[in-house]
Amino acid sequence: MVSSKLRVWDLPTKVFHWGLVLSFVAAWLLRGDRYLHLHVLAGYLFFFLLLFRLYWGLAGSFHARFSSFIRPLPEVWEYLKKATGRKAPRHLGHNPAGGWAVLLLMSLGLMISITGLLTLGVEEGHGPLAGILGREWAALFHASHQALAWAMLSMVGLHLVAVFRESVLHRENLPLAMLTGYKRTDTKARAENVQPHAAVALALLGVMLGFSLWWGRGYLLHSGNEPYLPFSGPMLSRNALWEEECGACHLAYHPSLLPRRSWNRLLTQQENHFSEDLYLDAGTISRLRAYAVTGEAGNTVTEASWKIHNSIPAAKTPVRITETGYWKNKHKDIPEKLWTRSDIGGRHNCTACHLDARQGWFEDGAMRIPFNEKNMTRIM
Amino acid sequence: MAIKVNRRMMSAIFLVGISCGLVVTAQVSAVQELLAEYGREGAGKYNAVNGEKLWKRVQVDAKTGQKRSCVTCHTNDLRKPGKHARTGKLIKPMAPSVNADRLTDKKKIEKWFHRNCKWTLGRICTPQEKADILAYLANQ
Repeated sequence: MVSSKLRVWDLPTKVFHWGLVLSFVAAWLLRGDRYLHLHVLAGYLFFFLLLFRLYWGLAGSFHARFSSFIRPLPEVWEYLKKATGRKAPRHLGHNPAGGWAVLLLMSLGLMISITGLLTLGVEEGHGPLAGILGREWAALFHASHQALAWAMLSMVGLHLVAVFRESVLHRENLPLAMLTGYKRTDTKARAENVQPHAAVALALLGVMLGFSLWWGRGYLLHSGNEPYLPFSGPMLSRNALWEEECGACHLAYHPSLLPRRSWNRLLTQQENHFSEDLYLDAGTISRLRAYAVTGEAGNTVTEASWKIHNSIPAAKTPVRITETGYWKNKHKDIPEKLWTRSDIGGRHNCTACHLDARQGWFEDGAMRIPFNEKNMTRIM
Repeated sequence: MAIKVNRRMMSAIFLVGISCGLVVTAQVSAVQELLAEYGREGAGKYNAVNGEKLWKRVQVDAKTGQKRSCVTCHTNDLRKPGKHARTGKLIKPMAPSVNADRLTDKKKIEKWFHRNCKWTLGRICTPQEKADILAYLANQ
């Protein structure tokens, strides 16, 4: 025996393993609306690593190849029976149960990636699958994405338990082996060092780093007073008269945030506009009305308009965006003392937290609660 | 280094001069025309001092019990920006000396008189009150 240690895992396999761990954890921690832009980056890296692993399962070094660790199911059954009796034989590469776990984890990962891209495309209108299906599919994709992520987390848990048990049983540190790539040789298995494939690993890291930098270029290159908006919404209608008349007293809420009947009611009862008399002439009112009804929420051009519109019962005609079910539900966790904070001022002040409120987009990634009055720029 | 005044610069200076003149003219004419109209509607001689008093007079709103005056939103210094009492929206300075757009549009002046008299006083203003306030603001 030349050496007591053998290189079992090549560099690309190690990069894949730990890269997948990091991107999965990052995507999990950055779930939800606020960090959507970074969640999606983690998702792209996760997807890319899985696709690479599929290729590497065919073209990689011996222990990385599917053919070396996918065993027939009866063999897996035999192994599992021995493993429960703590008599599982040691394997240099993946054991028969572990091999199938790899496949299962990868399948879950790929399904998570695809449902994630579908959610991004259908619910948010972003990414390569933007708008391929109507928004009514969004809930299904989103729920599947979440359920699959939980399934993968459970599989990860099982994987950790198995790794721990096997490490104890054979008195070797398996997580360390996945870091160093080396395992001790005391089996009659293929006793050869695998190629490290450093160039492939470097290319893999390079592509991921390059993509991450490109993805985040807006944060790095951005300058000026306006905040950087990671997601740009659809082109929405604009109207100078609307901006001027509504914007004179408050944010000129985009017409896509309330249905047609609400705008009609608001403009009809202009003498009592939240207890102010607007005193606009008939011509101005009719021009404002024409603009509002063509851009109303029923067009469902944005995620917000679609969800607001769906949350209003047909018999109701809200005159406040904050009366709608979707708005209430989305803001239910915000404590009252935040609303009354001097730099926020109340529920009417969308711009306090939504950086793209003026555009009417209300993208998930453009929402943040300001820390204090100093970093708060009120642009209305 | 001598500054060469070429034809383009000359015309630019000319245009800037013309537009400044136009703004001032618009302001003067809008205010003058409205003062004349208020006179026709029954207002006597306008009085800027009465205008200032009315501007700063505190009124208790019947419905809410809130104390309200023009100063509530426009602040005590007309050369400084104000803040909408309910929405927090920034209000550009009222004084024409720092905000040349002020008092240049008759329709706009009338709209805000109607809207803000109702909010502040709970009624529309008389021609006399409007004339006095306009005279007060125009000098700021």
